[in-house]
Amino acid sequence: MTKINHDNNEVLVSKSRRDFFKKTSVLSAVAATGVLAPVTVSADDNAIMHHPKWGQSWGDPVTKNLYGIPSAYEHNNTRRYTKLLASGNYRASIAVSPIHESEGIITPNGLFFSRSHGGTAHIDPNEFRLMIGGLVDKPIVLTLDQLKRYPSVTRIHFIECPANGGQEWRRPQYNSLQFAKGFMSCAEWTGVYIKTILEDLGLSSKAKWMLAEGSDNSEMGRSIPIDKILDDAMIVWGQNGEALRPEQGYPARLLLPGWEGNLCVKWLKRLDFAAEPWYAKEETSKYTALKPDGKAIQHFYANEVNSTVVSPSPEKPWRDLKDGDMIEIEGLAWSGMGTITTVDLSFDGGKNYVEANLKGLVLPKCWTRWSYIHKYKKGQKLLLTSRAMDDAGFIQPTIDQEVSVMGVESVYHRNAIETWEVTENGEVNHVQIRS
Amino acid sequence: MFKLDHKLLLSAVTIATIFTTSGFASSNIVSKPDISGGVQYPIVGNRTHIYMVNPNAYGLKLNHGRPATKNEIKAWNKDVMPDGTGLPEGNGSVEDGEELYESQCVMCHGDFGSGGAGYPALSKGNAVELQKTLTNNRWKDPEADGPVRVFGSYWPQASTLFWYIKDAMPHTKSKTLSDDETYALVAYILNINEMEIDGEEVDDEYVLNREKFLKIKMPNIDGFVPNIDGPNGLENVREFYKKPKNYGAIKVKKSKRCMKDCQDSSAKIARVQGAGISDFHPPMNITRDLPEIKEDSVHKTSFDAKKAYETSCTMCHGAIAPEAKDKAAWTPYLEKGIDKVYANGISGTNKGMPALGGSSLSEDEFKKVVDYMIKD
Repeated sequence: MTKINHDNNEVLVSKSRRDFFKKTSVLSAVAATGVLAPVTVSADDNAIMHHPKWGQSWGDPVTKNLYGIPSAYEHNNTRRYTKLLASGNYRASIAVSPIHESEGIITPNGLFFSRSHGGTAHIDPNEFRLMIGGLVDKPIVLTLDQLKRYPSVTRIHFIECPANGGQEWRRPQYNSLQFAKGFMSCAEWTGVYIKTILEDLGLSSKAKWMLAEGSDNSEMGRSIPIDKILDDAMIVWGQNGEALRPEQGYPARLLLPGWEGNLCVKWLKRLDFAAEPWYAKEETSKYTALKPDGKAIQHFYANEVNSTVVSPSPEKPWRDLKDGDMIEIEGLAWSGMGTITTVDLSFDGGKNYVEANLKGLVLPKCWTRWSYIHKYKKGQKLLLTSRAMDDAGFIQPTIDQEVSVMGVESVYHRNAIETWEVTENGEVNHVQIRS
Repeated sequence: MFKLDHKLLLSAVTIATIFTTSGFASSNIVSKPDISGGVQYPIVGNRTHIYMVNPNAYGLKLNHGRPATKNEIKAWNKDVMPDGTGLPEGNGSVEDGEELYESQCVMCHGDFGSGGAGYPALSKGNAVELQKTLTNNRWKDPEADGPVRVFGSYWPQASTLFWYIKDAMPHTKSKTLSDDETYALVAYILNINEMEIDGEEVDDEYVLNREKFLKIKMPNIDGFVPNIDGPNGLENVREFYKKPKNYGAIKVKKSKRCMKDCQDSSAKIARVQGAGISDFHPPMNITRDLPEIKEDSVHKTSFDAKKAYETSCTMCHGAIAPEAKDKAAWTPYLEKGIDKVYANGISGTNKGMPALGGSSLSEDEFKKVVDYMIKD
């Protein structure tokens, strides 16, 4: 079990406290003789009763860390990987996002999940070229500067690997939110609509499909229907106010809002228009969903409506709650089909529901936060299940409903409701409610 | 199970445009169905959904970039399509393919393409026979045989294999195989999948070329839905995703969703078995503490006292405090010995020296900086 070892944490805390006093021996000597002499039985908080080191000495000069980094104390808030998700090595693999620590609807660039098929490529932006050709009147080549000269748009969208939750068709396997749902992240992207570029090129009416190809080691490519290209498909170079990170396809990637992360080709090199689809490796051997009748769904584009409880989670249990505490149950909902309209919450694993509140920005094809205020009863066992709806009219299916159509071998696009079991002592476990 | 009244499920959206009133006052959000079964938000006037847009930014002729040359297009246009578009001339034998495989592929893909160490298998035996396993579904029995999804049994087109090998294999040095070598490897992979071309077995003597390649018919060519080929391809996709039942999705009106007694009594709690998958790296941990610093030899030897001095000390030393290497200036400080200098520097003094110079250096590193400043 992926139990958070709190005993171990205790050890780490007290160890760091010892180190702390060792390092500030002068200070602690003063504190011990002066302020911290035992005056009352109910202990005063040491954090209040002594001057912390950082309040009595210089902080860093502004010259340090000119590109900022998180507090050293946040080092556990990080992407994680597991060997199971590596196709042989950690180049064709994934590192998943710590969504149990996520705040709001934006994933910081360093925590955005990272997936590649031939390793993270490091591209010299001066040698970046984007070639756009095929069924167009004028095939062109753009440098990065020329690409960025088009009128830009900025949008907040999640990107989700369609295998998010894909290891759990037959049973729950991860007692962890990060691994059960962390094959996704959400960011503000800046780039250009491809339809804006096509104004220059003269797209042939015969063009039905677009191949997007990366320049990385795997030359990752996918065929995309022209409908999406003429709707909201973008080439993006900006992520949360700065250049894309190498893991996200620096200097430019495709962004198809709401659609499979794999379709959002990174390290973009070439767009080619044709009348027929290509049958690239990642749209045949993988990213196809095998059903019980032996037929597989190919070209499965949009990530369907989905949700999860973020707090509590297996990583963030309720062990320290007191009877009667008013506690916020919080979560994320998202849909690549549209905009979240409703999130319901169940305390009994999906028998009965109450409606939760959405909060913050509610944007299309974007993470949406939801909230429910709950009065905690000590010792009460709960089965917390969230269920989202979107404005395309979809609702998350139960596990039984989804499996009855898709079977258990389809790997991709699993969006059934998911449940956290809260035990009587506040531990949280990942369970599934299924026949 | 949910007790949804299926009569009340919304059928595929037939209305061209739906107007919905969002929570944002005075904004009518316009949406219409898209090809994926979801909705899109067309730009109407100066907005899409709640995003504002500059309507003057669309429909422009900008003429950025430059025309691609014929040679450039040729250099990058390496894709291979099922109808043979992009497939080069060339030939390669099973025999040569096996030799290449043994020298460049076997370390990952295993003997006879059997896979291993997490790398994909290229064959599990006879392609036609294994194609029949695609109806295997491990609903309840974890010991049952699952479907075999390798090249021979699953992939719909052979063009994918040629293209992928040429572009992306071998994984550690991609784009190094010639067209003939690629034909040879494809021939070998057809051989280990026990496949035929035009009625002829791809045996150990077989030599593959472009003409024969175009006659390959994959056993699972009809195994995929929707049918994306031909002039109706996109329409087929659109129709497929209009029917939620095709892909395990459910539509319901908000007012009709189940809120009470929604679950079948046969539903039980399924738990993670044992520890489940839990070899996470780094191990799962939510404490907020300082990371352990590994005192490796590289770290120690690479410490640059001069650089640390320039980064952390020169804002005072050389201005309001003695400069490094200024022996005369340092002499009075050394009267009580170097250890006193170290100690003052580490703890700070009331004459303006901050503890550790206000740096984040370790004490050992700090002493090295003092040595640099005072000693020769």
